[in-house]
Amino acid sequence: MVSSNTTAGYAAGRSDASVPRYSTGIAKVVNSALYRHTLGAAVESRIGRIILLAGVPLIWLVMLHVGPIYQMLKISLMSHYPVLPGVESRFTLDNYAIFFRESLYFTPLIKSFIFATAATAVTLVVVYPVAYYVAKVVKPEGRSKALLLLLVPFWAGELIRTFSVIMLLANRGAVNVLLREIGLIDRPIPMLYTSFSLGFGLVYLICLYMLLPLYSAIEKIPGQYLDAAADLGAGPFTRFRRIILPLSKDGIVSGCSLVFLTCIGVFATPMLLGGPNTVLFPETISGFFHGASDKWPVGAAFALIMLVTALITAGIFMRLVGGKKRSAF
Amino acid sequence: MRNMFADAPRTSLTAIYWAFLLYLLLPLTLMMAMSFKDANFVAFPIGEWTLDWYAKVMQDKQFLEACLYSVMIAAASTLAATTLGTWIAMLIVAEGIKGQVIIFALACLPAVVPGMISAISLRIFISTIDMPTGTAAIILGHTVHAVPFVVVMALTRLRSMPGNLVDAARDLGADSIVAFFRVTLPYLGPALVGGMIFCVLLSIDDFVRTFFLGGYRPTLPMLIFAKVQGGMSPEINAMATLVLVVTAAVGLYAEYMTRRARTR
Amino acid sequence: MEPVVQFDNVTKSYGKHVAVENLNLSIEAGKFVTLLGPSGCGKSTSLRMLGGFETPNSGRILLGGKDVTRVPPNKRNVNIVFQDYALFPHMSVAKNIAFGLELKGHDNQFIHRRVSELLELVQLQDYAKRLPSELSGGQRQRVALMRALAPDPEVLLLDEPLSALDAKLRQQMQIELKSIQEKTGKTFMFVTHDQEEALTMSDTIVVMNKGRIEQMGDPNTLYGRPGSVFVANFIGETNLLRSTVVGTEGDQAALSWNGVTIKAAQGGLAPKAGDHLYVVLRPEAIHCSAAEPESGNRIKGKIRQRVFKGNHTSLSVEVGDGTMLNALVHPADVSQLNGEDIWVGWKPETTTVIPDRHAHN
Repeated sequence: MVSSNTTAGYAAGRSDASVPRYSTGIAKVVNSALYRHTLGAAVESRIGRIILLAGVPLIWLVMLHVGPIYQMLKISLMSHYPVLPGVESRFTLDNYAIFFRESLYFTPLIKSFIFATAATAVTLVVVYPVAYYVAKVVKPEGRSKALLLLLVPFWAGELIRTFSVIMLLANRGAVNVLLREIGLIDRPIPMLYTSFSLGFGLVYLICLYMLLPLYSAIEKIPGQYLDAAADLGAGPFTRFRRIILPLSKDGIVSGCSLVFLTCIGVFATPMLLGGPNTVLFPETISGFFHGASDKWPVGAAFALIMLVTALITAGIFMRLVGGKKRSAF
Repeated sequence: MRNMFADAPRTSLTAIYWAFLLYLLLPLTLMMAMSFKDANFVAFPIGEWTLDWYAKVMQDKQFLEACLYSVMIAAASTLAATTLGTWIAMLIVAEGIKGQVIIFALACLPAVVPGMISAISLRIFISTIDMPTGTAAIILGHTVHAVPFVVVMALTRLRSMPGNLVDAARDLGADSIVAFFRVTLPYLGPALVGGMIFCVLLSIDDFVRTFFLGGYRPTLPMLIFAKVQGGMSPEINAMATLVLVVTAAVGLYAEYMTRRARTR
Repeated sequence: MEPVVQFDNVTKSYGKHVAVENLNLSIEAGKFVTLLGPSGCGKSTSLRMLGGFETPNSGRILLGGKDVTRVPPNKRNVNIVFQDYALFPHMSVAKNIAFGLELKGHDNQFIHRRVSELLELVQLQDYAKRLPSELSGGQRQRVALMRALAPDPEVLLLDEPLSALDAKLRQQMQIELKSIQEKTGKTFMFVTHDQEEALTMSDTIVVMNKGRIEQMGDPNTLYGRPGSVFVANFIGETNLLRSTVVGTEGDQAALSWNGVTIKAAQGGLAPKAGDHLYVVLRPEAIHCSAAEPESGNRIKGKIRQRVFKGNHTSLSVEVGDGTMLNALVHPADVSQLNGEDIWVGWKPETTTVIPDRHAHN
């Protein structure tokens, strides 16, 4: 044992104010009868620990991450909803069949896919050089600043960013006014409430989801690879095609999947920027959920059709480009 | 060996970067500028400038109530999402538990499901458990939305944690619960603060979930959406500008926090 | 005296891999005991079982006479110094050391006294408020040691705590560890794969191999009288001469090695003629000379390699049918060994013999 006499003087020589405060309260809690008989007893046993650790998370995951999708699936297979006394609800696939019977429903889904695919492709082409610039051309110490500048607009939120696009594209918006000022046009080009404004808004909305995965993938490519390739006589284009592109595949796959899945489900943007010709599938589905709930089974079926086709598309894309199955993260 | 041709890709990349930044910032700048227009219609050029719209917004009871409501929902859903997300992450990294891959996949599910579908499925779900639309439903929806992000952030930090820190705490007399609160949670701390701010922003920005799950009280995005559909006015620009400035400031702070967490 | 730690027929396996097999080990209080062995020999598993982080498949572990086999780590009166220290990064040095005391329910004044006392023991009084990230490797090591000592454990467990330090600091810490152990009078159970570390600090060394104890004893015995080929090879450098017993003379045995007759201490083996034995010949016991030595064992050899090592020179000498002997020679003697052909000699009492297990099986 260390003799405490040797240090008693040392401790006493200091004023009480200099005695640090230690967390003595924890022992009081842990040793209290209440704790010992409840939580304390629970963590003593393996079963108790597992229940404490896994109970709440599993209940939450099953109830609220799986539950809603399951309920949606269940309702989509019901002939009547809500279930009323006296009316029996049967199992049916009719709600799905409606989708294939009516082009009114079919067309918006196709449009949604076209918009989402086009927006994904455009975003990839536009964002890739930017991500490459920040990850490889900017010096390491300036990198986070260059990235942060790009991130600032994204704190504005979906709705405000969509709204701001109107300022640019409206008939008396910045672009039209500018073009008229310099005499290129006499009357405004109608850009708002068209496919163009919708596409423009979509790309504007989602480029962050492309930027971050691409950036982190490109940043990981060691600079020596490029030096080695250049040393072996590869020009800039060859270096890009043979080294950077294949090595940033992970970023491309996750970025595109993320952007695609977001675009498919985008809801407010078409309502603000789209016109009568750009009714997309989410808006169609949403129609079934206004007012009474008797149309819910059809809406649920449509939502599932959209979810499954979107996930399958993203999955096929991942497999084709990525080679292996990967999660969106 | 550097000549003009060798630098050409570099120069053009720099140009692309700045052009892209301009593209990102231009609409928002125009939107902010329009909030100072001294006329009750939205059109360029701006001509006369005024601060009247801000005075009007600051006295707009509806706007202030929506702000308060949004903040309240954000606080509640952030608290819930942080607790649940951390708890799930702890389960995923725990030793001796099987099926961690499945648990992780389940935890990430809401992030993969498009927002629209998530909103509809929750709308159906709350009706099957006889929960009315309104505040509680919105909070639930926002929490589901935010949990995957907290899980991923907490997991990243937990995986960088030396495994024997908890062993050391246990060795020194802490049971699992004390070890969590005294060692694991403080270690997660900075990452969680960043994650919480992210959750707040997710909640305040959310439109689609609130649209399907909300009652008659509008949140900020709902209010702005309703106003835009009711007709353009610089007043909306002033509102949006205020929201933008505040959320961007909060976002920057979050960025600062997570950066500090990484360097510590 | 009752042992403070007792492993009673302890076996631990992971699936098919047996990490520790039928371990029986008693440790006396106040001793510096080292578990020594290559990685995967079961030494760390044994330590973790004593710490409570692993539960044996069978057998009992007694701590101070009480069965603690299934007691969780937080309820056992042992503390561990972890390999990479595992200091809590968000707590100051003082708070780290106080952690175990807080949980024992001591009051603020007591904790403060104890923390100050321990910091003084390793001269870190001025560092109380620093964070672990602001300390050097050696300082972190000391804080980890004091944190584990603070709750006054019955046994202090050290899991290769010096492996992260550079060679010079490691030597310094070895001496410091030993002196702290002597000052506090605590039982230290130290795990390492570094035989030099074990020899420097330990009162008792337990050599482990493949989940079993090979040999247990004080450093002198283990070095001078290794009980098996494994121990002889693992501790220090060794030349092993596989020989056949010809006869015995007093406490010495006469053996035949490659047609040469050599003598060696019997080491209590009582060998019979015809037995196969290994003669353990340490490089420093060998004397090389140009002329034939007058007494003791001697063999003619050729120098194949000389490696200058500062305070000595290491020679590889080929003897007989191509066997290489490793010998240490003082700088003064090297100058006399000009040619290739030399004599290798040693005194019989500086060697010992170990049984060749394969010959019996």
